[in-house]
Amino acid sequence: MSIEDFRADAMRCSRCAYCKWMPLDLMKSWRFSKGCPSIEYGNFHSYSAGGRLITALSLMDGRSTVTDKVRDTVFMCNMCGSCDVSCKICRYDMEPLQAMRELRVKLVEEGHLPAALAKCVESLKTNHNMLGAPKERRGDWAKTLGIKDLSREKAKVVFHAGCRYSFDGEQSGVARTAVAILKKAGVDFGIFGATESCCGGRSYGMGLNDPVKHCAETNLAKWHAAGVETVVTPCADCYYAFKRLYPQVAGSQIKVLHMVELVEQLVRDGQLKLTKPVTMKVTYHDPCHLGRQGEDYVPWNGKEKKIFGQAVCYDPPRPRYNGAFGVYEAPRSLLQSIPGVELVEMERNREAAWCCGAGGGAREAYPKFSQWTAGERIEEAEATGADALVSACPWCEKNFSDSVRHGGHKLKVFDILQLVEQAL
Amino acid sequence: MEISRDAYRAIEDIVGPEFVTDDPALLDSYAFQYLAELIRPEHSHFMPRPWAVVMPRTTKEVQAVTRLANKYKIKIKPISTGWYHWAAPLKDNEPTLQLDLRRMNRILDFDEKNRFAVVEPYVICAQLQAEVMKHGLNINITGAGSSCSIVASACAYFGAGPSSFSMGNNSDNLLGQEWVTPAGEIVRTGSVSSGAGWFCSEGPGPSVRGITRGYLGSRGGLGTYTKCAIKLADWPGPASLEVKGRPPGYRLPVPENFRVYTIGAPDWDSFAECYYGIYDNTLGYIFHRQFNLAGADLATALWLTYIDPTKTLNDVETAAADPEIKAINEKARISFQLILAAHSSDGIELQDKILDEILTATGCYKVERYCDKDMAEFTNMYLQRMGHKHCNFIWAGGYMGSWMQAGKPDWVKTYVPTAIETFKNDQDSGLLVQCGGDALMGCGSTLAGGGYYGFEQFVSYDPADIKSVKACVKHMEDAVVTCREKGIPYGKEYLYLQVAWPDEAVWNALARAPQTFVFDFQRKIKEAFDPNGLGDRNYPWLPEGWGKSAASAQKE
Amino acid sequence: MVANITELTTIIAEDRFLDDPPLLKSFAQDASLVAPLRPRYVTRPETVEQVQALVQWAMRTKTPLVPVSSKGPHRYGDTVPSVAEAVIVDLTGMNAIKRIDRRNRIAVIEPGVTYAELIPALAGEGLKISHPLQPRANKSVVASLLERQPTLIPRLNYSLPEPLRNCGVVWGTGEVAFTGEAGNGPLSLDEQWTRGQSQLAAWGPNATDLMRLVTGAQGTMGIVVWASVKLDLLPVVRKVFTIAAADIAQVTDCVYKLTKVGLGDEVFVLNRARLSQMVEAQAGRRAALAAALPEWTLVVGLSGAALLPQQRLAVQEKELRALAQEFSLTVGEGYPGVSRTDLTAMLDGFCRPDERAHQDIFFLSTLDKVAGHVASVQSVALRYGYPVADMEIYVQPQHQGVSHHVEFRLPYDAADARQAAMMEVVYHTASDKLIEEGAYFSRPYGYWSELVYGRDRNSAEILRTVKGILDPENILNPGKLCF
Repeated sequence: MSIEDFRADAMRCSRCAYCKWMPLDLMKSWRFSKGCPSIEYGNFHSYSAGGRLITALSLMDGRSTVTDKVRDTVFMCNMCGSCDVSCKICRYDMEPLQAMRELRVKLVEEGHLPAALAKCVESLKTNHNMLGAPKERRGDWAKTLGIKDLSREKAKVVFHAGCRYSFDGEQSGVARTAVAILKKAGVDFGIFGATESCCGGRSYGMGLNDPVKHCAETNLAKWHAAGVETVVTPCADCYYAFKRLYPQVAGSQIKVLHMVELVEQLVRDGQLKLTKPVTMKVTYHDPCHLGRQGEDYVPWNGKEKKIFGQAVCYDPPRPRYNGAFGVYEAPRSLLQSIPGVELVEMERNREAAWCCGAGGGAREAYPKFSQWTAGERIEEAEATGADALVSACPWCEKNFSDSVRHGGHKLKVFDILQLVEQAL
Repeated sequence: MEISRDAYRAIEDIVGPEFVTDDPALLDSYAFQYLAELIRPEHSHFMPRPWAVVMPRTTKEVQAVTRLANKYKIKIKPISTGWYHWAAPLKDNEPTLQLDLRRMNRILDFDEKNRFAVVEPYVICAQLQAEVMKHGLNINITGAGSSCSIVASACAYFGAGPSSFSMGNNSDNLLGQEWVTPAGEIVRTGSVSSGAGWFCSEGPGPSVRGITRGYLGSRGGLGTYTKCAIKLADWPGPASLEVKGRPPGYRLPVPENFRVYTIGAPDWDSFAECYYGIYDNTLGYIFHRQFNLAGADLATALWLTYIDPTKTLNDVETAAADPEIKAINEKARISFQLILAAHSSDGIELQDKILDEILTATGCYKVERYCDKDMAEFTNMYLQRMGHKHCNFIWAGGYMGSWMQAGKPDWVKTYVPTAIETFKNDQDSGLLVQCGGDALMGCGSTLAGGGYYGFEQFVSYDPADIKSVKACVKHMEDAVVTCREKGIPYGKEYLYLQVAWPDEAVWNALARAPQTFVFDFQRKIKEAFDPNGLGDRNYPWLPEGWGKSAASAQKE
Repeated sequence: MVANITELTTIIAEDRFLDDPPLLKSFAQDASLVAPLRPRYVTRPETVEQVQALVQWAMRTKTPLVPVSSKGPHRYGDTVPSVAEAVIVDLTGMNAIKRIDRRNRIAVIEPGVTYAELIPALAGEGLKISHPLQPRANKSVVASLLERQPTLIPRLNYSLPEPLRNCGVVWGTGEVAFTGEAGNGPLSLDEQWTRGQSQLAAWGPNATDLMRLVTGAQGTMGIVVWASVKLDLLPVVRKVFTIAAADIAQVTDCVYKLTKVGLGDEVFVLNRARLSQMVEAQAGRRAALAAALPEWTLVVGLSGAALLPQQRLAVQEKELRALAQEFSLTVGEGYPGVSRTDLTAMLDGFCRPDERAHQDIFFLSTLDKVAGHVASVQSVALRYGYPVADMEIYVQPQHQGVSHHVEFRLPYDAADARQAAMMEVVYHTASDKLIEEGAYFSRPYGYWSELVYGRDRNSAEILRTVKGILDPENILNPGKLCF
């Protein structure tokens, strides 16, 4: 694909600006009615999905060139996909999120990748992670846990901790919790420890094509060699990469589970008993890559066709990806199965969730915007009266924790597995 | 074309450098406008590019920027949430500042008891509705949908929607308003001008609002509306819309004191009789012909597909061929949606009885499949929140509304066959979506209390296909010619086409109006309030000396 | 300069220019506190063409014209010339009901049509018009609506000018142009009707709402020669209910809710003096009746029309009783001395000729402020020795209950110089105080125009601009409002 493939999307944009809002049907207040962090922060129309489609058209037609401002409008975005959900309320012929990424690809190819993101990509190349951390330290979090090392051993399930849980000392406890849960449930699994490699998903969101392909091929090869049939990860970004991107870029057919899906299944099957009360009022934040972007991958290599003269559809039918079938119920069911936990919803939930602000390279390239985005979500969580904000993605947790810390909020931030651990 | 650096620096000083831009790509995101491809040279999707986009936060900033525009003789074009080609600059090479009002986005006041809210231009209908429903109140959401600005519909453009039958047009719901004239004066109209609060739109004495709040409003052509108060309506439903289901076809459960029906009619005469029955009996919290935007041949197939989240437009083709769906479609061919609401079980039961009597008397009927739970809940969602309005674009990304002449029901039914035939003929080329000649959609009334409405023909075309775009233009021209030949007033398409015309052509057209008094009046208003010509033709006028005699000369 | 009428006499017969002194005197003064001034002529045109010719002549000769559509007695000074040598344009003879369209519930009437003429004519067609509380029988419907007099049924008051829709106007430019929807069509009602137009939509033409510029204008912008008015079905069953309160605040929330949910036809509040004045024909008995009445009465009229009217009425009555109960109020059907028949007659009747002079203070406000306004006016009355018990108060929800017409009627003996002087002070002081506390004098007659436009120079300036366009020679009722 290239941005040219989305020329028709641009020309068919009605400029309705649904992409700026949460789905209008779901709106419950003025305060929490917005959907797109980028337009809320950047303001000019070009900071919306519709605006970016126009930018693409303008650039393709040679009406304008890439300036610093244009680069900002393209990259100061979490690629959270809220726009995609809202646009598709009324449209079957638009793919704004894909188009926005292809616009990034165009800018990257023309040398406009923001410097902060270039550093991440360089780190991916040299250290196989996006955080600039030395690759040797990747397996440190699991050194003392006695987990099967799949670089030498075999297992049907691989636990993929991901970059954040592997390198961020404040967060790696969650990875340890995850493996403890897997062990307790008697799952036969292993890890790659120091040889685990980044999923590459974030580089894809930043507008690069090759790194994720390379990561996919590397990881799939390692997994196949170790006899892995299922990859389990506590990271929503990794989950998205494995589930949606790897089949696309490397033909992956491996089964992908987020930890919440696995643990919820174990609890439902009675293999895990959550018995200890965790008295807490919590609200759940749907990570974009687990929620609205967490739908199953459907291979498609079709083309546009017209019916009834001019109605636009596709041969064969094109997968929809509108957030209707994201992973929403497993985390909620899991939280509700913890004794003492009271789950309250934020106004923007499931496919309408407001982003944490960490995605799309925003955390790295536009930290103020990223933190503002997180701060908005913290306020929304606080408005529910919850004691804690729970998520299922280390990037969300990191951004939220930073925001809570800087903003002096009392709200606690947890990964869902931390609550499960308390209940075991 | 560039704005002068002096002017640019001054604007930066007013709004802050982060809230002004003249970057060409960013400007293009404002030049790109809905319908542009129908009227621009080479069917470009871009209207003329503004020379800068400015985002004021306050009325004072709007005023300061406007005054600056006077100093530098730059046109101003405010935009809130708006779309339409006339929201962009109208002429090439004419220095224009686009005022993007999205930072003016606050609900400034909500007076529950006196039932009004004061809002800034970027407050959208869905936001305000969500807030006021918590207090048992509602707003009339404009037909353009709940993503649209309340200020725009109340002060500056057309303000009717599905609930106008019971709640009124937003021009009548307008209370106090604040207007920055093109000369840079801040004007408040109604009670707020007397310092008495925002609750009244009239007076003192004659109502100043009368100079701009006409049929369509000034559409950004005569200054900037920076605030208004809007009258709120009763909401007998729950404090929050507890929406069910997955996208896109969200559903809103129907409370016990509501009814949601799709009513079918055997022919257009029966439709009109049924309308008069509903009108005389003051039934209808919401009254709208909504689903037919998809075209009477395909509507049922589309909407039954749409409410299934696993399906796509491909499935419509199959559905349209299904004999069962075809049969439902025939029942719904001439139909409309009616939502009843009451404050008591007795009240809603009585409304039901009255409706049944009307249906019996007129030969109309409830279309059963549309009244089933799933479709009724979807209908309720669609029309209460108006969050699916851009299904207008669902077929191919392009929609142009032709016809829409409003009048009494007995008159509307006289042009319906012509509108259907004209559109049907234009679909034969295959360059427009072939959904049937009747894609007529419209509010049950554009006036409070009913009795007056029009039908907009939903012409769906592919904006990415120049042949389809040209076919749409041809339909517009065909509609104009048909209207001229049949003595029907011109519809919306005529207004759309005029955007591309040179001034003289527009003036010629205005001069041929049966009464030109208002265009002379508007010229004088423009001279008084816009001495430097900062506004555009969206507030139309006739130059001195045009008018009747000029019109006669033109005809000769 | 005496206006030269000879050039007009080919259009308007000379005998329709009247200058006999008693007639001129009758137009020189009304019941208001506005200073008297005799006009030069009274003319009675009969056609639109004559009105147009008159305006064009006035433009040429710089003659002030004062349009008058109702027969007297006039009350607010708007028909009293403010400048010398004015010509009264007496439109009472243009009194044709040009069309009643039952199906679309719209009528087109000339300015001289009175409520006493229109109401029975409509009833004959099964229709009614929402009208002011007990209008004068000879009150021009058009003038009443142009001056935005409050109407009784807030549910139908979709905007303040309702039920006024379109007007045919001879503007101060000498041109004839129609307002609203009618402004888009040919300049002939007959031709519009042939084409199927109904003069229903008030907005327009184009970006302007010309009707809004002649409403509240006291004849300063143009002379309205016809108007279309929106109608409703004549009820076949009706009931009038009363809800008593010792304090207006007790019924405030009930009124808010009634107008919010749109329950009821007529909804308004009267104090005991006003109710007594309206229902008791014998002046001598009113004080006693008033003393026996509750301090305040909320009047609610319910009705049924169209299909299942009896059931409609029954449901509404049940809903009314439930609603009143929410606020611990009791729904009654009158009082001793105020029967159901009296109440119905009050809603449908015309006002009796004034037995006493009175000055009226009226304005718009929100209902939550009304108790404060009442206290203010009462305190002014007490301060200057006006008998508070005589004060008649009427509160009428308008615009579906968003705004409220508040009216204080202050009867007095105008022949008694002391009382007359006191009344002037009370009137001015109370008006000053009311405007300070947020009363909105949207129809600024006489003294109020100084108050209102003195504080709102912006509106005054704009209105002068508009007046300069629509009446460039300032011939139409000069001296009124801010002109």
